[in-house]
Amino acid sequence: MNRDLTADEIERYADDEVDPAEAGEMEQHLLQCSRCASAVLRIVQMKRAVRDAMSEEGAPAALRGRVRRQIGPSKAPSAWWLLAAAVVVAVVAAMIVPPPRPSPALPELVDMHTTLLASANPVDVVSTDRHTVKPWFEGKLPFTVPVPDLSPTPFRLIGGRVVYWRGNPGAYLLIGKGAHRLSLFIFRDDMAPRDLAGGPLPMTTNVWRSRGLTFIAVAQVPPEDVRQLRAALESSR
Amino acid sequence: MSEPRVGTTFEELAMPLFDALYRYARCLADNRAEAEDLVQETYLKALRGFVSFTPGTNFRAWMFRILRNTFLTSRSGLRAVPPVPLDEAVPAQVDNATPETEFVQRANRESLRRAIEGLPLAFREVLVLSDVENMSYREIAETLSIPIGTVTSRLIRARQRLRVAVGNVIMREGS
Repeated sequence: MNRDLTADEIERYADDEVDPAEAGEMEQHLLQCSRCASAVLRIVQMKRAVRDAMSEEGAPAALRGRVRRQIGPSKAPSAWWLLAAAVVVAVVAAMIVPPPRPSPALPELVDMHTTLLASANPVDVVSTDRHTVKPWFEGKLPFTVPVPDLSPTPFRLIGGRVVYWRGNPGAYLLIGKGAHRLSLFIFRDDMAPRDLAGGPLPMTTNVWRSRGLTFIAVAQVPPEDVRQLRAALESSR
Repeated sequence: MSEPRVGTTFEELAMPLFDALYRYARCLADNRAEAEDLVQETYLKALRGFVSFTPGTNFRAWMFRILRNTFLTSRSGLRAVPPVPLDEAVPAQVDNATPETEFVQRANRESLRRAIEGLPLAFREVLVLSDVENMSYREIAETLSIPIGTVTSRLIRARQRLRVAVGNVIMREGS
């Protein structure tokens, strides 16, 4: 490409809305043209600033409860019905006490991903170099973190931090692809979240186990991208 | 994961979107109380209309569209719609290296938030859907019922306007 990118191209590149062939050509140009590269960078920074400024506010719990009651299966049960239900529950509970079921972990990890991305400092060690990130975890975690070599892939390492799940430490790697950010949580199997069953979530997730570790990838990208990341991680080890 | 499974209940699909819908409502509505009413009404309407939702299509865009339509027919929604169509044309080259660009980097969260809230609705919402909710252009187009090309040009304009608006907020606060 022997010309500057158009405003439309710069915008679409920063928003990760270009097809791979187009992206390749644009990247070639961006490597040589500081003007276009800084235009893309400014939009990426602006996107991050907008997200930081607008995403901190969660919905009020009272509103959530109100809506849940409105749309839930049982609407306005009568007092008699409630009384009858209470009796049935008490009788059944006296006969069998089922073990408490752990709450599903994936929605919480998705929330953790969103919270970290919305934070001004999502990672504590900022480096694209696995030889910087991997030693940083040493002494902080009871296992060696397999920080992958992503250089031959479309992904890039952004950094990492230590996260906790129910008091157990794990590694968090932030990985970029275009303008998208992917979170990778890594826990030792015996310390990993228990209930990792899938379900309808607002994001793409992928869970796998390898060599005594549990990997959980979370991102707002198509499932193919997350699968591609998993393949890249597995092949780099 | 975004495609609903057969047999999934409305609650299972809709509740994970709660925070995102509330944020969008806050972006559209004038105040918290109005945003809360908007979210509540959206869930009721969506529950009633769930039978008409086509499985396999984008549920998130469907919910956001219901919220938006609910807002647009409300009193403050009718006020927020511009009387003349927005100019969607975009210059071929944009000079991003203006002094306003620097303001965005310098602005604190609060100034930036105020600047975004001061933008016309069409610009404000496209920024929030793209940058906060991470929607693709296709999903934004579906939510706003506009062509994808319009999403791109509106985002370019929104970011240009935001640069200027942040500069104004900073200068007002600094003076």
